[in-house]
Amino acid sequence: MTELLIALAVLAFLAIFVVGQYNKLIKLNVAVDESFAQIEVQLKRRADLIPNLVETVKGYATHENATFEKVVQARAAATTASTVPDVAAADGMLTQALRGLLAVAENYPDLKASANFLSLQEELATTENKVGFARQFYNDNVRALNTAVATIPSNLFAGLAKVASREFYEVDDPQDRKAPKVTF
Amino acid sequence: MATFNFRTLQLANKRKTIFLLISLGLLSWLVAVAALSYFGGGGAAIVPLAVAFSLFSVWVSYYSSDKLVMRMTGARIIQESDNPKLFGLIQEVTIASGLPMPKVAIVEDDAPNAFATGRNIDRAVIAFTTGLLDVMDRDQLQGVIAHEMAHVANRDTLVSAVAATSAGAIAIVSDMLMRMMWFGGGRRDRDSNANPLTLIISLVVLILAPLAALLLKSAISRKRESLADATAVAFTRNPSGLRSALEVLAQDNTVVKQRSNAVAHIWIESPLDGKSVSQMFASHPPIQQRIETLQKMEGTSLN
Repeated sequence: MTELLIALAVLAFLAIFVVGQYNKLIKLNVAVDESFAQIEVQLKRRADLIPNLVETVKGYATHENATFEKVVQARAAATTASTVPDVAAADGMLTQALRGLLAVAENYPDLKASANFLSLQEELATTENKVGFARQFYNDNVRALNTAVATIPSNLFAGLAKVASREFYEVDDPQDRKAPKVTF
Repeated sequence: MATFNFRTLQLANKRKTIFLLISLGLLSWLVAVAALSYFGGGGAAIVPLAVAFSLFSVWVSYYSSDKLVMRMTGARIIQESDNPKLFGLIQEVTIASGLPMPKVAIVEDDAPNAFATGRNIDRAVIAFTTGLLDVMDRDQLQGVIAHEMAHVANRDTLVSAVAATSAGAIAIVSDMLMRMMWFGGGRRDRDSNANPLTLIISLVVLILAPLAALLLKSAISRKRESLADATAVAFTRNPSGLRSALEVLAQDNTVVKQRSNAVAHIWIESPLDGKSVSQMFASHPPIQQRIETLQKMEGTSLN
């Protein structure tokens, strides 16, 4: 009787342990998915700001077609990308193009003083930061998941939970690796 | 690995809080034992009574902390359309931290300051004085927001409620027993087998315990502030924003027009600075020390 109870207790403990490990891995994996979705939400929001911004700048700066073209192209690429490295690359390109656009705006004092441009600039600054923080949160979640997938004991359950290590969101622009900080 | 990494700082501060909370628990237990040994059966009745009373008073205020603190500070909830820039900044920090969007409030006061309250993550309120919003730039404000959201993430309303409950219960027990002693109460079977040394020690414990509890409570509050600074850096990875915000607060010597000292501990910068008896009773670490810690974090890798 005692042996049976001990065996049952050991089994119960094992079951709780396995369920705990399994659920931990699933939760980490879901957190990665969710935080990637957040990056996409913020990138979409930034893309939505661009036509308005380009129109506003065009109103003052008429001879900067090359810069506009670059922004529009980068935006198109960013809205079609889907895998992590593709999204990251398009994101980096768009950031560069936007920087170019805002540098152009520097040359037009009337534009810089317009209320519309100022509010767009603030909106772009906060969206740019949100993209940066969404990346950072995603990478933190990937780090947590990859650590769990690679360390004992959770690595033993990765196969069972069908969870594997995930890709970091790497941006090529070295400026973007630093803390998200926008000073246009 | 550098010591001034936000991860190691977060861990160290969490560990110290746990140690302090355990000390507070042991102190409560010691007070109960002392009460029993000094007053026998009479004391035994008071302990659960004091705990119940303290639990009730603290947890009522914890449960309605959002409304209560808002009323005591005169904070007013605002909507996104009232200050889109501030909301944008707060959304940035919610994305960085994975926390839900808190309610946002404004306190009409020229002294720059801010606080967070609410009984849980979903009912969090963060408030800023108009003075703070006027003087801070984007990075500084982001640092302050991150500090307040760090309090939310670390559940500091709950931690301070726990600390206040035990400190309150200890104060009540000690107070009631002292009164009983004053009025000639005390142990009825004193002549039976009580050791006089035990009685003296019990008496000393009862006298000193409320003071010790207050010291522990203040120490816990200080650790939570340091923890919130470290967690804020974990959110923004930008120690310089919060550092320069604290420098602005340190230089500014206007003080929030307090309606009540009871809420002094919740502000980012203590409104009681200089008023407290000594550093040991302060609810916040010295602001200069917080600035130095953040400066050291600026010097180390942020990942």
